[in-house]
Amino acid sequence: MAAAPLPMDARRPSHTFGPQTIAAIQRMAEEGHYEIRGWGAKRVLPTFDDLVFLTASVSRYPLEGYRERCETRTVLGARRASRPLELDIPITIAGMSFGALSAPAKIALGRAATAVGTSTTTGDGGMSEEERAASHLLVYQCLPSRYGFNPADLKRADAIEIVIGQGAKPGGGGMLLGQKVSDRVAAMRTLPAGIDQRSASRHPDWVGPDDLRIKIEELREATGWEKPVYVKLGATRVGNDVKLAVAAGADVVVVDGMQGGTGASQDVFLEHAGIPTLAAVRLAAEALRELGVEDEVQLVVSGGIRTGADVAKALALGATAVSLGVAPLIALGCNGRTWVRDGVAHDATADYRALGTEPGYCHHMHTGRCPVGIATQDRDLEARLDPEAGARRVANYLRSVTMELTTMARACGKSDVHNLEPEDLVALTVEAAAMAQVPLAGTTWIPGRS
Amino acid sequence: MCGIVGLHLKNAELYPRLGELLVPMLDCMASRGPDSAGVALHDGHAMHVVKDVGPPVEICVRNGIAERGGFQGIGHTRMATESAVTTQHSHPFAPTPDMAVVHNGSFSNHATVRRRLARHGIGCTTDNDTEVASRFIGHQVAGGADLADALRMVLKELDGFFTLLVTTGTQFAVLRDSFACKPAVIAETDDYVAVASEYHALAGLPGIGDARVFEPVPEEVYAWTR
Amino acid sequence: MDPVILDCTQLSTREINAALGGLPDGAAARVMAPWGRHNLAVGLDNRITVRIEGNAGYFIGGLCAGPDVVVDGFVGWSVAENLMRGTVRVRGNASECAGASAHGGTLIVEGDASSRAGISLKGGTVLVAGDVGHMSGFMAQAGILLVGGDAGQALGDSLYETVIYVGGSIASLGSDARVEDLTDDDVLTVKRLADRAGFEHIDPGNVTRVASARELYHFDALAGQRY
Repeated sequence: MAAAPLPMDARRPSHTFGPQTIAAIQRMAEEGHYEIRGWGAKRVLPTFDDLVFLTASVSRYPLEGYRERCETRTVLGARRASRPLELDIPITIAGMSFGALSAPAKIALGRAATAVGTSTTTGDGGMSEEERAASHLLVYQCLPSRYGFNPADLKRADAIEIVIGQGAKPGGGGMLLGQKVSDRVAAMRTLPAGIDQRSASRHPDWVGPDDLRIKIEELREATGWEKPVYVKLGATRVGNDVKLAVAAGADVVVVDGMQGGTGASQDVFLEHAGIPTLAAVRLAAEALRELGVEDEVQLVVSGGIRTGADVAKALALGATAVSLGVAPLIALGCNGRTWVRDGVAHDATADYRALGTEPGYCHHMHTGRCPVGIATQDRDLEARLDPEAGARRVANYLRSVTMELTTMARACGKSDVHNLEPEDLVALTVEAAAMAQVPLAGTTWIPGRS
Repeated sequence: MCGIVGLHLKNAELYPRLGELLVPMLDCMASRGPDSAGVALHDGHAMHVVKDVGPPVEICVRNGIAERGGFQGIGHTRMATESAVTTQHSHPFAPTPDMAVVHNGSFSNHATVRRRLARHGIGCTTDNDTEVASRFIGHQVAGGADLADALRMVLKELDGFFTLLVTTGTQFAVLRDSFACKPAVIAETDDYVAVASEYHALAGLPGIGDARVFEPVPEEVYAWTR
Repeated sequence: MDPVILDCTQLSTREINAALGGLPDGAAARVMAPWGRHNLAVGLDNRITVRIEGNAGYFIGGLCAGPDVVVDGFVGWSVAENLMRGTVRVRGNASECAGASAHGGTLIVEGDASSRAGISLKGGTVLVAGDVGHMSGFMAQAGILLVGGDAGQALGDSLYETVIYVGGSIASLGSDARVEDLTDDDVLTVKRLADRAGFEHIDPGNVTRVASARELYHFDALAGQRY
């Protein structure tokens, strides 16, 4: 006989020790280990959703959709590089490693970026042949681990990104659990196959901005001063760090907010380190303005950017471009219920269940058992992702985001998306007003000013 | 984040040349610290601190540093990390009239130490982390600690990455943190002890070819007394 | 063919590296008066010989895949970092992180190397006649680090598959590094490397072999490791 349901007052959850906290404590007691998972921060954070545009009306005039052109072309790295990156759209694909992602996923991202005229980025595992071939413009990351890093790939890259930190885990190194360290991944990283790989937190050959200045010169010398040098920062002390990156010689500063994703990290990092992208973009733009280099050094912003509205808001607050990681993976099919082969859809729910999750909630890229073939090195699983179909989906997504962006820019009376400005925005919450330093809607009040 | 140099002369014949030897050392460190620079010179009677915003050579020329003598001196070129670029924020910091401190690195708990010092009535005039370390060392020495012990107390109280160079009316000391990630090279001869962030700042010193050259190991206090 | 003379007092680093990069295989160059200059002879992939006549700065010979570089003096941090092929020989001391992340080639230091020598090593060979400082061989993945003198604290911390040989004393071993028995193959390897470097003071049969205990290869909840 089924027990009678408890009365409501007997099921009063504790906010401090809620069911999920209780489960987490009991898991730690069981395993003696912190939680490692993929994805990014899951908590509620102030985001670009808390801002809205003041589009045109009587005082300002909108552009006609489709008929009146709104420019999206974007140049990155003209400060010191003789061959800056010329992109058709201000939306790029962020660094994600071959290893964390399957080969078909990397190929799909490269082809999609190429199709829409933008760049993609390597990751903590070196440059693979198929990725280079698929990507017209490829940014080569120089990370603390230096896995697979070599001068030949440096020379065939289109830009160099020195990664100091990542928004998902600023101050921490990369992780790749043994399930994903396949023979090929191990060979590319010069590691034994199957080990739990933990990357260094600091670079092996320099420490601090005084040394970084020399490191940047080395990379430029090794590549004939052709390629833009980006410095990527996890957003923490953004003002200081952006200024130091500029002083060290960066052409482009990439600021990754705390909503940024990762293939594997400690949960405590994902939820409790760094600042939201909304605050980071404003601080970074302010730092460039204080140095008087806002027209010379480009700001790329990443961390939880999903829509054309997000892109428009980031640009308005001072970014020249944005970088997307998790969103293109979702476009590829991440957290999707099905995968498709030869036009036939296969339900993957049971595979998600086997990981202890469901489509829509999966953060299990660390397990290497991705049911849709994206975050895996398993032969059978990665075969579930058709790179050509995946590339079409990601390209469709990037085109849609661009259309959303230009729609909003036109409505603000801009014939170039780069002419969006902070004065086009107001905030819906006091928090967002304070972080973005734009007025609370319906007022002229900017918290912290006046 | 910066460049540091120091010269402790053992041979009195070199005393008149202190500034002349120190200025090129400081100039070598210009690119490590483009924001500001400064020196502290000890002539046996008093300590003289000169610091300003701008390139080291200009500051040294403007203040005639190369013409000055003394038995030891230290210098610093600054790349500001978290506090403003002003003369007040420049190194060396002088917590007492005869003590000077220069630092390369970044302390990670200086706010707490600043508050602790304030409880003892020791105030800082800037928000710079090195000033906190310098006042901490000054406070320890004022309380009767030997300079080497004061520096060992730094290892206990201050966290982070640092190479410190400290001079007093009689002593010259170097300390690196437990990670020792910020550079430092020491060269010692019968005539002098010289310290710099990079070896090339030492390479112009007389007799350097015969010097004992080494890099200070983590958490060890190296001290010389006149 | 006479060596090409490149004078650092007359030329920028960029001009020097461009000149070196443009030399045909087999050519020789002398880089004069380096005076602590950083980033000399970096990113070269031609088979040339470069002699740097004096003390040089950071990253000397970094990112190279081909040349033989000799420095007649001291070098700053990270000499031969990410070396792929070729050799870099330092006649004096090397500062921190000598041979960092070198994937191939050989770095020879005739004096001492400071902290973190051979950090993140990925298949290169690092031969130091004298001592190495603390944390040498940190997270070294593949290749060989041979130390003729003494090794500082925490040698081989978080070591992967690099093997370290030490002729002198070891101040302490880092996490997951252990001393292993010397095999006949080890002795032959050390002899070959010492001969190649010209390190006559190393007795190949009398070195200490340090390798990974491989206990950090998997995050083991119950191993009492300090993550």
